[in-house]
Amino acid sequence: MSEEEKADRPIEPSDRVKVVQESAPGGAEEYRWHTGLNRPTGVPDAIEFIDVHKAFGRNKILKGLNLGLPEGKISMILGPSGTGKSVCIKHMVGLLYPDDGDVLVHGESVPNLRDEELFEMRKKFGVLFQDGALFGSMNLLDNVAFPLRQHTDKSEDEIMGIVNARLAEVGLTEAGDKMPNELSGGMRKRAGFARALVLDPDIVLFDEPDSGLDPVRTALLCELIQEIHEENGGAYTVITHDIMSARRVAEYIAVLWRGRIVEAGPAEELFNSDNDFVRQFLSGSAQGPLGME
Amino acid sequence: MARSVADRSIAPARDFFEQVGDMMILTGKTIVSAVRPPFPYGGEFILQFLFALRLCWFPLLISTVAFGYGAPGLQAANFLVLFGALDRLGGFFVLASIREFAPLVTAIVLAGVAGTAITADLGARKIREELDALQVLGVDPVKNLVVPRFLALMLVTGLFDIYALLFGIFGGILATLVYHAPLGPFWATFFTNASVTDLWGSILKCTCYGAIIAIVCCYKGMTASGGAAGVGRAVNQAVVISFLGIFAFNYVFTQTLLATHPEINVIR
Ligand SMILES: Nc1ncnc2c1ncn2[C@@H]1O[C@H](COP(=O)(O)OP(=O)(O)OP(=O)(O)O)[C@@H](O)[C@H]1O
Ligand SMILES: [Mg+2]
Repeated sequence: MSEEEKADRPIEPSDRVKVVQESAPGGAEEYRWHTGLNRPTGVPDAIEFIDVHKAFGRNKILKGLNLGLPEGKISMILGPSGTGKSVCIKHMVGLLYPDDGDVLVHGESVPNLRDEELFEMRKKFGVLFQDGALFGSMNLLDNVAFPLRQHTDKSEDEIMGIVNARLAEVGLTEAGDKMPNELSGGMRKRAGFARALVLDPDIVLFDEPDSGLDPVRTALLCELIQEIHEENGGAYTVITHDIMSARRVAEYIAVLWRGRIVEAGPAEELFNSDNDFVRQFLSGSAQGPLGME
Repeated sequence: MARSVADRSIAPARDFFEQVGDMMILTGKTIVSAVRPPFPYGGEFILQFLFALRLCWFPLLISTVAFGYGAPGLQAANFLVLFGALDRLGGFFVLASIREFAPLVTAIVLAGVAGTAITADLGARKIREELDALQVLGVDPVKNLVVPRFLALMLVTGLFDIYALLFGIFGGILATLVYHAPLGPFWATFFTNASVTDLWGSILKCTCYGAIIAIVCCYKGMTASGGAAGVGRAVNQAVVISFLGIFAFNYVFTQTLLATHPEINVIR
């Protein structure tokens, strides 16, 4: 027996046993709370996930996700940290492709679009990434003006007018000429928020717009989201960990866990759900099916 | 178990070839995207070009003079003095400096100085999701980020090759002077051996080195993952893969040039 094979030996069998033990009995228990119940909203879906599977190497993130986000409403995706909420957003804009299944935006299959069609489709979207994703080489004004310069032929005066109005909404009027690395995390978030909305997009995706903000600003931001949504309409999707925010602005809620939807539906119905997991999660209680693991 | 051992030893190799394949695809996309309108990359091209120029001119000057003087200069002179043939050093410098060392030293300095800067920059942007945001805003990263770096690095390496071979030869002159020999014979053997083929071969080769460095470094930057440590890893791998690529390409290029231009095989 070679050296390499000897070195392998102690690791191999135990490894194999562990994998078997994890998946076999877990399988029945793992999806106990996943009724996958999708209560009807009465409006068509702007974005649909159909049996989407996605793995990074061996790490399976989405395992047969079925989800519809209704047109013209503010939807919230809630779920424990690390379940793949951000991954979901990246599927919607074609930054990640599903291993299996399909993602539809206004009925068009995103993974099957050609490059030019995808670029065209992305113009519908305004996205706030989890870390703001501001361009480090530009100041805030240029960051927020970027989509306008890219996609419209407005004059520089018009652009600056819009940009200043957007920055004022999020309370960053003073900081317009600062570079992103001179700002706090919460300020970067708010600037990213302004940039996402500057084109009045049809579909807006916010990845945790409220994380890193103080409670008052969070409340104000929620109001802002509602106001802008009332003005512009469109399908808004907000990912958040903040139950207060969810109570304030959500019209539709989907709870994601272990790569699938536990339950989804209009907000009031979900807050009154009799599903133990949903109840635990939406009340932020330590008692219930979800532990630290 | 045998299977798992095989898997474990094959997996890294498969991973490596996959990456090489991806880099080939990126090269193709870059070239297509460079020639197909629109051309929004002019400004970035000039920035990158000046950036590489500013970063590299001094390290390259030191490296080429020191290398030309030390390695082919002193060593070869020491050897040639044995035969009383120090005048042949000029001819040797055509082989050594023009054909091999000038492009190689240029590539090494460019990869180490400009290439790493490119990987670190793109890697940091990837980690901060800036590249994702760009794509969502309808900006094609290949056209707007890779193409200008690709063209700028090719132009810079091509120009720097001439610069490097001039300073490399200056190193040879220094070596000759150190041996108290006159410079006349150095130039005489230099110019009987040098040909136009040597010059364009050197520049073409070095330009291709620039292309290899640009593609490898952009690819590694744009695929960085795993936070700040991931960017560090990407930079490290970019340099290693650039060098491997350059050495492999050098072999193919030299072999082809010698085969297609047999006259440069003759030492006069
Ligand atoms: N590009 C990637 N490569 C490899 N793994 C990834 C990648 N993106 C995400 N993951 C993995 O997918 C899982 C889900 O990530 P994701 O960022 O979607 O979580 P999340 O639900 O947004 O969590 P949080 O609420 O903390 O932001 C994580 O375990 C992460 O390690
Ligand atoms: Mg996330």
